[in-house]
Amino acid sequence: MADLPIIEIKKLSKIYKGSNEPAVSCISLDIFPGEIFGLLGPNGAGKTTTISILCGLFPPSEGDIFIDGLDIRSNPEKIKQIIGVVPQDLALYPTLSARENLTFYGNMYGIRGKELRDRIDGFLQVFGLEKFARRQVGRYSGGMKRRVNLIAGLLHHPKIIFLDEPTVGIDVQSRIMILNYLKDLNKAGTTIIYTSHYMEEAENLCSRVAIMDQGKIISIGKPADLLATNPEFKNLEHVFIHLTGKDLRD
Amino acid sequence: MYKHLSAIRKECLILLRDKAGLAMLFIMPMALIIISSLMQEFAWNSLSKDPTVQILFVNNDKDSLGYNIEKGLRKSGSFEVIDSLNKVPVTEMTAKAAVAKGDYLIAIVVPEGTTKAIRANVRIMVARTLSGFGMINPLVLNSIVAKDSIDISIYFDVTVKNAFKNALVSSIKANNYKIETEMVFRTFNKEIAKQFPMFHPPEVSYHEVLQFKESFPSYRKKELIPTTAQHNIPAWTIFAMFFIVIPLTQSLIKEREEGSLFRLLTMPVSYMNLIMAKVVVYIVVCMLQTLFMLLAGMLLLPLFGIPRLQLGDDFIALTLISLVVSMASVGYGLMIGTVAKTHQQAAAFGSISVIILAAMGGLWVPIYLMPPFMRTFSTYSPMNWAITGYYNIFLRGGSLIHILPEVTRLLLFFLGTVLVTGIYRKFKSPIPD
Repeated sequence: MADLPIIEIKKLSKIYKGSNEPAVSCISLDIFPGEIFGLLGPNGAGKTTTISILCGLFPPSEGDIFIDGLDIRSNPEKIKQIIGVVPQDLALYPTLSARENLTFYGNMYGIRGKELRDRIDGFLQVFGLEKFARRQVGRYSGGMKRRVNLIAGLLHHPKIIFLDEPTVGIDVQSRIMILNYLKDLNKAGTTIIYTSHYMEEAENLCSRVAIMDQGKIISIGKPADLLATNPEFKNLEHVFIHLTGKDLRD
Repeated sequence: MYKHLSAIRKECLILLRDKAGLAMLFIMPMALIIISSLMQEFAWNSLSKDPTVQILFVNNDKDSLGYNIEKGLRKSGSFEVIDSLNKVPVTEMTAKAAVAKGDYLIAIVVPEGTTKAIRANVRIMVARTLSGFGMINPLVLNSIVAKDSIDISIYFDVTVKNAFKNALVSSIKANNYKIETEMVFRTFNKEIAKQFPMFHPPEVSYHEVLQFKESFPSYRKKELIPTTAQHNIPAWTIFAMFFIVIPLTQSLIKEREEGSLFRLLTMPVSYMNLIMAKVVVYIVVCMLQTLFMLLAGMLLLPLFGIPRLQLGDDFIALTLISLVVSMASVGYGLMIGTVAKTHQQAAAFGSISVIILAAMGGLWVPIYLMPPFMRTFSTYSPMNWAITGYYNIFLRGGSLIHILPEVTRLLLFFLGTVLVTGIYRKFKSPIPD
């Protein structure tokens, strides 16, 4: 792990308009290059807000963020070139084919022509979609859509990739394929910031996790270290329940 | 630039794949043009050769005036005169009941003695005139019993609109005026003949000396007689163009709700760049809609017996006004689609506001018929600027110079809507908090 963090979050807070409670409250966090960092927490914990701020969608109410040494407030466009985002919602146009969707998103990253075509072909092959490249995405299965959704965030070979529940609602085969690919991508040097409600998945995939609740980080560390400090629990899910409680969240 | 072109390509593909949406965009406006033009032409013009309005006619007069009114109504070609129901002559009571039930729109009852009353009045006139010359004993005047006025009753169904009622009453009154005048002349002659048995006046027939010559001065040298097509097609075209608000707002909100916008905002591309791609595509759609609607006016309406739409003499002016109207309608849709939070909000506000702007702008009721305060309001409707521009070209034969004020206003309206969209987005993220 390198010494300098690729993402530096200092006392980040976010209060939405019309709300008295902060969605994120004074969190500080360093993420280092080559990490698969898991941001875990129940609904409303502040994970999506944190990721949205890191992606440049909302300005923080307070605090500073540096991504690859660039201040998020003054360099949003440069930061957008080096990050890739895979949102929880399937951010695809259902009446366009996978190739048309990916061509459009690739163009938006400034890639075009043969280079883009080659990248799309490569990704479609890796994810087993080359035969369906011309089919409208709306006619894809849930797993196929998730795979295209993932490719759209990877086309420009980002240094950092944000994944918001990338495996939600898909079959085991697609899930294994996506997770294996993410591991390979990480081995190649890509930093991954990942949110999920699947604790077992996070435990196996992430090099480090932060557990958030009510806008705060309540625990951070390697999954193995979190288990070691809570020896009474068998796995990360039990630690998670212990830390965040059993109450239902909105 | 290629990012912009790619976004345009994406919008085009999405539009082309939406077959139902395309039908809405192109077939519905053409159907609107054809149906509304046919309705207006048949309802108000003489295109209809067959009598369309059935009138129950009760002639209790059974004399000259009653017969002449009936003859006049039948001759007009606009009415089917019905004087018996189920082979039983119509009476005032049955006529009134039939109208009250809604079986007939109108019933006319000419009361008994109407002709006699008119004759009596004429006799008084004659007697008064001749007594002035000392030719008749003034006591004769006292022997003539006359009424000041006679009421011909017209019963209307309660659903009859005022405009139709007024047009009908005017038409009946004009017809009756001629009949009554002719009768007065004849009676006058007869009365004079009675006073002077040696005098044999010739048969008179009333001839309207005063004639009205209608003409339509315009910028053109050759006069163009305005037709329903010239009046209606620009109005319905503008109305349909502004309805681009619905698909445009749906496209904007769908992109937001489906998450594509979320992803796009994390990419190195500006929001306004993406929006402008939509604007360009929808302006082209609007222009195509206009083209199809004008072609419908030129090629399809004549098939139904409606005069062909004349496009005016300046093609550049027509293209320019169509372009700025398209820009204004797309700008309006953009603004609503940006501010509205849901499909329902956008669809409800979009469609109702377009209807209000159309009513305000004089697309349905001409501005000169509006009360003064509404006339002031109408000058602020972009649809009013649009219709004025089209009328200047289609009806007045105007050219580029004659539509410049409207073009400027519509262009400023478009820039205003884009500015509002930009400012709103600057302070309010399109991603729901």
